[in-house]
Amino acid sequence: MNNLIEIKNVTFEYVEDDTLHTAIKNLNLNIEKGSFTVILGHNGSGKSTLAKMLNGLNKPSFGDVLVNGINTKDEETEIDIKRMVGMVFQNPDNQLVASIVEEDVAFGPENLGLQPLEIRKRVDEALKSVGMFEFKNSTPHRLSGGQKQRIAIAGIIAMKPLCLVLDEPTAMLDPKGRAEIITTLLKLNKEDGITVVLITHYMEEAEKADRVVVMNDGEIIADGKPCEIFKNVEQLKSVGLDVPQTTELLYEMQKSGFEVSTNILSIEEVAKEIKNALHLEEN
Amino acid sequence: MSILQVKNLTHSYNGNTPFVNDAVSNVSFAVEKGEILGIIGHTGSGKSTLVQHLNGLLKPTDGQILFENEDIWKNPKEIRKIRSKIGLVFQYPEYQLFEETVFSDIAFGPKNMGLSDDELDKRVKEICEIVGVKPEYLQKSPFDLSGGEKRRVAIAGVMAMRPEIIVFDEPTAGLDPKGRDNIIKIIKDYRKAFNATVIIISHSMEDMALLADKLLVMNKGNLEMFDTVDNVFSQGDKLREIGLNVPIVTRVFNKLKALGVDVNENVFTVTDAVNELKRIKAGDGNA
Amino acid sequence: MLKDITFGQYFESASIIHKIDPRIKIVLMIAIIVLIFTSGNFFALFLSTFFIITTLLLSKVPFKMYIKNMKAILPVLIFTAIINLFYGEGASLFPDIPVLSHITFEGLYRSVFMALRILLLIFVSSVLTYTTTPNDLTDAIERLLSPLKYLGLKNAVHTLAMMMTIALRFIPTLIEEAEKIMNAQKARGADLESGGLVERVKALIPILIPLLISSVRRASELAEAMECRCYNGGEGKTRLKQMHLKKLDYLCLIVFVFYSFAVILTNIIF
Repeated sequence: MNNLIEIKNVTFEYVEDDTLHTAIKNLNLNIEKGSFTVILGHNGSGKSTLAKMLNGLNKPSFGDVLVNGINTKDEETEIDIKRMVGMVFQNPDNQLVASIVEEDVAFGPENLGLQPLEIRKRVDEALKSVGMFEFKNSTPHRLSGGQKQRIAIAGIIAMKPLCLVLDEPTAMLDPKGRAEIITTLLKLNKEDGITVVLITHYMEEAEKADRVVVMNDGEIIADGKPCEIFKNVEQLKSVGLDVPQTTELLYEMQKSGFEVSTNILSIEEVAKEIKNALHLEEN
Repeated sequence: MSILQVKNLTHSYNGNTPFVNDAVSNVSFAVEKGEILGIIGHTGSGKSTLVQHLNGLLKPTDGQILFENEDIWKNPKEIRKIRSKIGLVFQYPEYQLFEETVFSDIAFGPKNMGLSDDELDKRVKEICEIVGVKPEYLQKSPFDLSGGEKRRVAIAGVMAMRPEIIVFDEPTAGLDPKGRDNIIKIIKDYRKAFNATVIIISHSMEDMALLADKLLVMNKGNLEMFDTVDNVFSQGDKLREIGLNVPIVTRVFNKLKALGVDVNENVFTVTDAVNELKRIKAGDGNA
Repeated sequence: MLKDITFGQYFESASIIHKIDPRIKIVLMIAIIVLIFTSGNFFALFLSTFFIITTLLLSKVPFKMYIKNMKAILPVLIFTAIINLFYGEGASLFPDIPVLSHITFEGLYRSVFMALRILLLIFVSSVLTYTTTPNDLTDAIERLLSPLKYLGLKNAVHTLAMMMTIALRFIPTLIEEAEKIMNAQKARGADLESGGLVERVKALIPILIPLLISSVRRASELAEAMECRCYNGGEGKTRLKQMHLKKLDYLCLIVFVFYSFAVILTNIIF
């Protein structure tokens, strides 16, 4: 079995203002061990509800979510699930508990009842892996948004999770902070083998993922490699999403009669593709 | 005539506060009536401090701000009047909503200006049309709205004062693409309806290329560049030096040039890019 | 402005006072305050003054920082001094001068005595807050209170400590937020500076409501984040940092014992 998380026929309903809303509709999704998955969707598409389902913060109304074979509905293993699937949220300010960086990172391991020496080891390792070790005695309040968010990630990493779920971790950050987070996540995924599920609506962040899942209205409407997903420019725009500017350029060129394919993303390759297209005309 | 002139503006925070030292030193520029000025720069480059001077929320340590050729601090007691003429929309403005109904929240600003009830009613309705708040929402609580709607109501609260200059600090932060487009449209519509001058702080070079007439680049409290969008974005290296960049499409064109294709690198929007490529294609055909 | 308020006033330095175990510091501070308030005469108070000034000097915190704290409480100090000055009993010192005729020797004595007491009180508490980080303080308080768990108050102690930790963490964030909201409402023409008391209180509504709503939102997000970090009310929680008494702490206790004996003796003799 290669799937770390299995979502089977899951529906999620909630009541607001006396009416029943369905945030997730009979959804099936497997997250492979070691993969980097990006979930895209506009606000209210159900992507955050889905994220909170991966670690049992939300329990399915119907269907099951299995993490490493354990059902999130099982109350006895609730803490195990939370340890295995760590979650990072949008606002870094609202997830840091302590006013000293290393004490904050220690919060998870302390809750797990680990011995002081082991906690120390994990805190140091976690801070090093997000590149914040030299700030271990700082107070989070004086750090930048990107740095704070990296500390939030370290706080989760210190619990040694199998999977990291991030719900729009870059939405409140500036471009520098966003780049810091994406670099950190790629490193954790490629070097430390942590499975990453990243929820975002910044299309550029999806470029380096193994897989992109697009959600709309509580359902998955597209699922595949980033370049395959982004080439469907019209479909994405129809569900309130955007495409990276590189894709948009190729798409607009196509509309103007250039022979280019739209399933390329990186600046370098796009430039080559355009060069080839121009070259073709010359001959 | 410049509607707003900033002359040798300096702001230094006195010493030992624990907050980021977001000072500004010796900044001068002028904004023409009706234009859109974009302000770009790192977090902590002094952008936010700068814009809080424009409507007198902060008082310059040194230098002057002239609105229609008059120092805004000429009569410090009248500074609240300036704030209705130069509106400032903060980052995440939805967090400032507080009234019981959408109507009274939008009316808060105009009410502070001392307008009559009839005038309030007129202004709120007029602005709701621009920001796309439906009339039936006016009696709802602002806290029952969705995130995007809350932001529109908050922006309407500033627009309802009908400021001649309206300043936005990252108006699209945290929104999804649809929400972003929506806010940009509102800003454009307001400008058109009231012939207003717009100043926007943004991190998105792509949005800036589409929106702004001129760009002001801040770095470490200093004004690094102040020029037309074309002239700023044609200095990619200088921007990269201070940790900023040019729009993605421009980077593609820089790459094209490096690959030996004879293109004009100064394209900053997708539309310009496609036109430039068409030009080359046509040119090659003729050759 | 709000920005100038710093919560917790730790002053980084490598003095021996900084190195003393925070638990010892708290206990000693309380003991010293008791000694100051039970001192019945100037001799005893001078002993305390000497002891405290020595501590101040050892703390390597610039003296002006202590003066700064004193300034904040100056109105209280002056008020107490004046009250005592004018309401003393005994014969008047200046019977012929109209207002000053109320001043008696006893009044003057009590006035100076009380002022010195308050001053010492401020100095003692300043030493503690300048040389101990807020986190160490919270930690120490939790550990000092931990015997209460044998009284069946285990949860209460943990909850209190968690509350203090979170308060420390969020106070600067909320101050910053309050400032932002204030500026945003000012930008909408809110008048926060003029008007009578009623107007001013009313003018606070546009600031307090958003602040309250945002605090609630932050609290619920924080609760969720804590749950995700396996928090379950402190059951079986261990600690990263351990506290052990060192030689310095014992030395410090010994010095204190001598000092307190001296104070008590002076109190008895004079």
